[in-house]
Amino acid sequence: MKGPAPVAVTGLGCCCGAGADLQECLATLFDDRRLPAAPTLFRTDHAVRYPVFQAPLAEPEQAELLRTSRLALTAAAEALADAGWSVEALRGLRVGVCLGTSIGSTISDEGFCRQLRAGSRPPLRPMQRILDSNPARTLARKFSCSGPCQTIVNACSSGSDAVGIAASWIRAGLCDLVLAGGADELGRVTYNGFSALMITDPEPVKPFDKNRKGLNLGEGAGMLVLESAALQQRQSRRARRGFVLGYGSSCDAHHLTAPHPQGLGLKRALREALQSSALAPAELAFVNAHGTGTPDNDRVESRVLHELLPEVPFLSTKGYTGHALGAAGAIEAVFTLACLQQGRIPASAGFAQPDPELPAAPVTATTTFAGIAALSQSLAFGGNNAVLALGRGEP
Amino acid sequence: MKCDLAIAGLGPVGAFGCGREALLAALADGRSPVGTTSLATPAGPVELPAFLADTASLERFVARRELRRIDHFSRMALLGAFLALEDAGMLGMERSRLGLVIASGYGAMRTTFTFLDSVFSGGDALASPTPFSNSVHNAAAAHVSMLLRAIGPSLTVSQFEMSVPSALLSAALWLVEERVDAVLFGGVDECGELLHYCWQRFFPAAGEARMQPLDFQRQSAVAGEGAAFMVLTRAADTIRPYARIRQVAQGNGAGVQPPLPQDAVLFLGADGHHRCGAAYGGLPAAAALAAYAPLYGSLPVGPAFDLTLAALSCRQGRLFPGPPGSCRGFDGAGETLAGRSICCLKYGSEGDYGLIRVES
Amino acid sequence: MQTKDKLKKILIEELNLEDMTADQIGDDEVLFGDGLGLDSLDAVELVVLVQKHFGIEIKDMDEGRAALQTIATLATYIDQRQTT
Repeated sequence: MKGPAPVAVTGLGCCCGAGADLQECLATLFDDRRLPAAPTLFRTDHAVRYPVFQAPLAEPEQAELLRTSRLALTAAAEALADAGWSVEALRGLRVGVCLGTSIGSTISDEGFCRQLRAGSRPPLRPMQRILDSNPARTLARKFSCSGPCQTIVNACSSGSDAVGIAASWIRAGLCDLVLAGGADELGRVTYNGFSALMITDPEPVKPFDKNRKGLNLGEGAGMLVLESAALQQRQSRRARRGFVLGYGSSCDAHHLTAPHPQGLGLKRALREALQSSALAPAELAFVNAHGTGTPDNDRVESRVLHELLPEVPFLSTKGYTGHALGAAGAIEAVFTLACLQQGRIPASAGFAQPDPELPAAPVTATTTFAGIAALSQSLAFGGNNAVLALGRGEP
Repeated sequence: MKCDLAIAGLGPVGAFGCGREALLAALADGRSPVGTTSLATPAGPVELPAFLADTASLERFVARRELRRIDHFSRMALLGAFLALEDAGMLGMERSRLGLVIASGYGAMRTTFTFLDSVFSGGDALASPTPFSNSVHNAAAAHVSMLLRAIGPSLTVSQFEMSVPSALLSAALWLVEERVDAVLFGGVDECGELLHYCWQRFFPAAGEARMQPLDFQRQSAVAGEGAAFMVLTRAADTIRPYARIRQVAQGNGAGVQPPLPQDAVLFLGADGHHRCGAAYGGLPAAAALAAYAPLYGSLPVGPAFDLTLAALSCRQGRLFPGPPGSCRGFDGAGETLAGRSICCLKYGSEGDYGLIRVES
Repeated sequence: MQTKDKLKKILIEELNLEDMTADQIGDDEVLFGDGLGLDSLDAVELVVLVQKHFGIEIKDMDEGRAALQTIATLATYIDQRQTT
């Protein structure tokens, strides 16, 4: 393992169930507002209408791109503007794109497949839209990026993995700048899939609470602009937003959908994140937990945090956003950096009653701190675990 | 990026059969069997050519019971993974320092359709959770990790035809950064009803069973499926690898062309799609080049097969003419590589490219 | 066909236990963990299968856990609800 090498974050963007941009999202978080509702983007015939967190992005009659890619474009435009980059200024630079998604890459369209199954010959337009909508490719096309392009599909840890891998592209000198993050849309496939797995809560999600029943689905995109030290020097710019300090990832190799009961994979990822950033637990201001609100996930996370980081406060922001799947890790990396800048984290929404089975509980009120580093962690189907170590930028 | 990585084991699975020897035999013979698949249409069933893979020999590595929930897509990946580790003599190794990187253009398309079928036939309330869980793109990586007890970092990349070069960048960085000591790297894609329907509609004039990848204007692609896995290590740690990967580059359009090394033999990712063919037409007329897609078919992760073939060619120290019409600038059987490097080059449809340079 | 036999057939066919025959599954054999070796994903699949084949809804896993112990407990659960 090589020594630590912080990578500067110069811009942030976010569009999700908590708001249309980062400022709106932060207002939702610190006002302790929660906005889940029955889905309006699509119809279902479930007896129970599981609430979801829809992003405030209008759905046009004739969409050229998948909603996932439109969410990614929205957050990327915000992040680039936040960093002070115009499309013209990016030309000539080696700009990479590294994005996480889950359903944003799936070759399936329910209406198309239904027609095909019924024996008719559906027009190819929905398939063409999918082929035009690879999330990383969409951003590369829109912002004329000439560098490497990678869509990571590690299910629900994709967004965290994308930020960690983008940082390593910068460290290796492959890129001057990387657009890193994640995007995922709400849809009937995931809505039906998670209902079938019986891990959706019919009420607003309650991460780490005794009465938690499961997750609420969300959607959105989180985006970070990462820049090389050389580019920053050349442009005399500052790492206003913060740093990617380290990254760790691992696979449970245990079960397709359930986390390892002792969280062995999560522990390995956590240790690698600390080791690669040379951070000691005492230096951590907080942990942004995955905290989906499913019985299994929250139990495992609580145990691991209690064992490895007993003194560090933690929260789940999924009470404000729902679970945005492949985008979740990126949205939460954005929140983590913004919270480090503000020196405070909001209450872990949805948590009211401690669970005697869980050895550690999240914060219940806005909590201030003086620390300058934090972790954001993600667990995923397939046993993937990813942990980012993030550092504060200039105030 | 410049690097010095070793290809220490190969695990190809496709219409040619499975394992290094099967692919080498197809390469030497210059052919691979084309199968057919039947597609229901309103006018009755249509027979389409396709390069299809069989995974029956997976039972050599995994008990049948353990495969009960594992679909064809993941089985191809599993077979490729086991074969590559076996070939590298690493089946018995401890796997905490092994990373897993899988590239797939389209993911488990058939299982995605199976999940939708459960909704079509029974309504939302009867959506079936098992195919849903297996339709996530990292399902193959999950099954490989579980059955191999591979607990290191795991990554699945889906970048259509750039999936392999893009994923290889991350695999190479893991080795260079010393996050891991070896990476099990592979590409996998599958055929199926949805794919065949789209092909028939997108390319109505096609339907030839013989691919002519160097005729860049002609649509002659035949759909293929399979997996091509390999074990990658740092060259400094490896005794007698198949080949060394010296460079991986992947980028996009905007007029930026890949830095083609002088004097390298090009293994093109041209696979009979005229939409991508134009880009290859601009290569130097004198360049020695080959396109071996007629051995494995047209699929997004084709570059993983090209890399496998490059590794085999490096090990043999010679170039193979391959199927008729798939090479240019070299011909006679037994032309030696004579110190030249091999550059696997793939163009996408929007000026995007992937380049992987290997040498003996 | 009795509910128990029908359930065994469903288990073998739909959970792909092709290496087993119906008479190898005991009525009182524990389905999950050390018994038949099924897991949490099979459990939710079984919930869907019970609804599909018997029209009976298991609303959540608190309710499901008791019913899904063995073939016998599940058959009883189904039979009680089908007759009422």
